[in-house]
Amino acid sequence: MTGLLLGAGALQAKTPIFEIEIRDHLFHPEELRIPADTKVKLVVYNRDSTPEEFESYELNREKVIMGGRKANIFIGPLKSGVYPFFGEFNPKTAQGRVVVE
Amino acid sequence: MLINSVVLVLREVLEASVLISVLLAMTVSLRLSLRWLLLALPLTVVAVVLFAFSLDSMTDALDGAGQEVVSALLQVLVFVALVCVVFVATRVGRSASVMAQPMAIFMALATLCALTRECSEILIYITGFATSEEHRTAVFAGSAIGATIGLSVGVLLYAALNSLPERRVIPVCHALLALIGAGMVMQSSMLLEQVDWLPSARQLWDSNVLVNEQSLTGQLLYAVFGYEATPSLLQVSLYLGSVALVVCAWWAGQVVGSTVDAA
Repeated sequence: MTGLLLGAGALQAKTPIFEIEIRDHLFHPEELRIPADTKVKLVVYNRDSTPEEFESYELNREKVIMGGRKANIFIGPLKSGVYPFFGEFNPKTAQGRVVVE
Repeated sequence: MLINSVVLVLREVLEASVLISVLLAMTVSLRLSLRWLLLALPLTVVAVVLFAFSLDSMTDALDGAGQEVVSALLQVLVFVALVCVVFVATRVGRSASVMAQPMAIFMALATLCALTRECSEILIYITGFATSEEHRTAVFAGSAIGATIGLSVGVLLYAALNSLPERRVIPVCHALLALIGAGMVMQSSMLLEQVDWLPSARQLWDSNVLVNEQSLTGQLLYAVFGYEATPSLLQVSLYLGSVALVVCAWWAGQVVGSTVDAA
């Protein structure tokens, strides 16, 4: 059982984790570089007090993140290219992109 | 801000509005009572408030997968309810007024589950801006405009369905329910991919050149058919499988109906 759990832990550890912060309705960093053909886990921290929705048509992702909370979003494996994302509640400022290379 | 609010609210309202219009057209065509709507609306208000205010803890549940799992479950429930509506409707058309009760329950369930997620997002959005003096007016006005446009599309669809020849109404409604339901199942699979409950697969094609998913047409197609410009094999299979299931429900309803008639 322990071996199984450790095995699962090791598998999870293989998924690279990338962090993004939302501050003042802006994404930090705006551009995220991730490897091609790899599944990655994005952890999006909403440092604002207001809610935001992480949304991307290109990545087929959408998730509401309440103020002061975080959200996990898995993306990939993806082929090389640029995949824009935005904050649907503040789309004018909250713009970012995932660059797969 | 105004335009953003219009677009956001319109996107959420459109899907629900299209579904309710089809169910209303069926209700009228089958000469059933509209009590399902009276049953669904108060329940929806409670569910929306509960969903919106527990989203914090829901998001952290199941190792961060809670929000997606609950939403996916709601979407699958809409589909199940729609399959039941099609099955029962095929029999209601023939005789059995006893079918009116289950029909009301399934229609109410579909409406409740479809509206909960969409409306809580609107509620979270509006309450998020309620304290911001700078944006409040634009957000309120934009949301009202978006909701009005969404509801108007629903009214237009209802009018169009109503103007069809009597014998066409139910088959057209069934076809629309099949597409709406299949779209819901497909969307639920994307939510589960997002939290790694389903494996993420390569996209099969990109039809953004034909119809951009972000365009008005794209959004409208998304609301009615669950249009997705970059689906994976799993999503296409789920979509086709779901449509096939609705066709089976329609066929099963007819077979059961004719057996009952013969007896």
